[in-house]
Amino acid sequence: MIQGAWACLLLPLAAALAITIAGTRISRRTAAFISTLTAMAAFVEAVIVFAEMWGKSPGDRAGSTTSWTWLSAGPYHFGFTLLVDQLSVMMMLIVSGVGSLIVAYSVGYMDGEDEERRFFAYMSLFLFSMLLLVEGGNLLLLLAGWGMVGLSSYLLIGYYQEREAAVAAAKKAFIMNAFGDATMALALFLLIQHTGRLDYASVFAHSPVGGTVANLIALGLLGGAVAKSAQIPLHTWLPDAMEGPTPVSALIHAATMVTAGVYLIVRCHPLFENAYVIQDLAAGLGAATLLMAGLIALVQMDIKKVIAYSTMSQIGYMFVGAGIGAYPSAMFHLMTHAFFKALLFLASGIAIHALTGEQDIRRMRGVGKLMPFTKWVFLAGSLALVGIFPFAGFFSKDSIISACLQHGTYGAILWLACVIGAFLTGVYAFRLFFIVFTGEPSEFAREHYHAHHGKEGPVSMLWPVGVLAVLSCIGGFLQWAPLWTPLTTWLSPVAAPLVEPTSTQEWTTSAIAIVIGLAGIGVAYLFYGARSIPVPKTWPVLEKKFYWDEIYDFVWYRSSDAIARGLDTFIERPYIAGSISAVSGLAGEGSRELSAAQTGLVRTYVLALASGLAILAFVFLAAR
Amino acid sequence: MHGPDIQWYVILSAILFTTGALGVLLRRNPLIILLSVEIMLNSANLLLIAFSRLHGREDGQVFAISVMAVAASEVVVGLGLIVAMGRRHVELDVDKLRTLRG
Repeated sequence: MIQGAWACLLLPLAAALAITIAGTRISRRTAAFISTLTAMAAFVEAVIVFAEMWGKSPGDRAGSTTSWTWLSAGPYHFGFTLLVDQLSVMMMLIVSGVGSLIVAYSVGYMDGEDEERRFFAYMSLFLFSMLLLVEGGNLLLLLAGWGMVGLSSYLLIGYYQEREAAVAAAKKAFIMNAFGDATMALALFLLIQHTGRLDYASVFAHSPVGGTVANLIALGLLGGAVAKSAQIPLHTWLPDAMEGPTPVSALIHAATMVTAGVYLIVRCHPLFENAYVIQDLAAGLGAATLLMAGLIALVQMDIKKVIAYSTMSQIGYMFVGAGIGAYPSAMFHLMTHAFFKALLFLASGIAIHALTGEQDIRRMRGVGKLMPFTKWVFLAGSLALVGIFPFAGFFSKDSIISACLQHGTYGAILWLACVIGAFLTGVYAFRLFFIVFTGEPSEFAREHYHAHHGKEGPVSMLWPVGVLAVLSCIGGFLQWAPLWTPLTTWLSPVAAPLVEPTSTQEWTTSAIAIVIGLAGIGVAYLFYGARSIPVPKTWPVLEKKFYWDEIYDFVWYRSSDAIARGLDTFIERPYIAGSISAVSGLAGEGSRELSAAQTGLVRTYVLALASGLAILAFVFLAAR
Repeated sequence: MHGPDIQWYVILSAILFTTGALGVLLRRNPLIILLSVEIMLNSANLLLIAFSRLHGREDGQVFAISVMAVAASEVVVGLGLIVAMGRRHVELDVDKLRTLRG
């Protein structure tokens, strides 16, 4: 079992190294195939691990192994430990499964790029980092993986390095993630101080319960989760990250990396349960994010940005689920979201690819008529996103929403936010669908559409999308609370849910959510599908994305800029630069005066010598 | 021991040294300055030998010979410079050679 986990972890790393070392000696195609095949092999290994685990009794499914002591400092020793349990094997399956589909898709999407090899090396590096994150057996390895996924995300967002916007977006993502890494590191320091260990079991057993320290630890971890998962207040990097290639957006900024925050909360749930205030804060931030992102998504004009805001909003749901203690539901939504969000990104990628890179939905209008396959899979993804029965999102999202009802008054507020969010989801998802895929093709779409050998795209792009579409349609039947709950049972030894909604609550919530979602779709249809009602003028506050960028610009950039300018004018120039020029002026003036003594006349020198000697003689002889 | 007392040697040496020093200070011709320097060196030699004789030891004589060797080398260089100046028709006046003033 452990060997499988090692193989799963190391195969993508081997691919990244091989592509890097081979360089231009292998063709672009070869690099793409190395990357794809190792990703698929990693998935096979994950399946083998899962199958072996399946055969064991629930009590001893988890296994961990320490290969060597990685770091040792005084009494602290941190091993290079892999932990394979029910939660990490689920993440391994999602990461390597969806990952290999997306890498396979990239073979067609990135075909003809100048630096395809670099792209695939980065993708493999990302898969390795993400697998390290989920398989790491202690918090230090988790933090290492955490930082490395941030690095590979940075590298891939900035893949088009000649585009200024891409470079700026990469830097923004890296800096905001580094902020989260720092708060996580602080939490780890506190844990080392109070428990002396970092492996999960002993940390959970010995960490302080309640009080300031427990709150600070949970807050630090939450900071990391919020930054990585693009939740308020560290969310502004995600929409900008859409500057990266579309497969990157699908893999890193929708399916896997951004959901790492949810994984962190579920994995460290005992620490969060020790600090219930922080756990409630996580749920609150999730609810605020899902509403805000849903509102912003209503007015965005870039197809990828709409989906990016939708990702933020869906991760908001997962945060609500993890925050109220419905861990299996949050993980379930993480899984279905990985399916349908990757599907949405990849399907829009097919359209973008066929329209020579156009992403503005006004110009992509009506492209569905030219691309029926893309249209139908996009519709499946949108229905799954809105949560319409029987698509995947229905099962997972509704179990999160109904779990809110078990969380008291606070839960009722969260429930309301989630239901409003479901309405917004219906509107923005189908606004996108109706604008881009229905109606007559725009002039731009007609002119720029080019079929790929009579098909909508290369086969390597179409089949992963097909697989994801099937998963988005049927993947939800894995668990239908309260009828059957295999996922909850599976995860219970690692992360047992704190809240179990009653069947009445489940059914009522599902009914309400479906009606609300359909209402959202209806509204979108009236405005954008039938175009019977003119679209109202949008509020500038939505177009400006609630002014977060402006606020950060003002608070961090402009204020420090002003302070620096002030210091420059009042301290630097007069005192620091001034004192230096004063010293140099004094030295110059002084030596100019002194140089007068250097007459060039031999006799003056001799006189000076002789008189000096005379004085010395006088001192030694007469004045002794 | 024959000959004058040691103070006569000291007085003579002082006179020679002062003569040389005044020559260096007051004359402008580098040749004369070089001669005056030699006079100063030899006044020192005189003292060395006088005291060597007074104490009956040889160290002073050894030093005097060393000083003579140094003086000879110095004269070679100095005279060489002066000859070079003459060849280049530079006026033999140290006050005119003031390129090195500050």
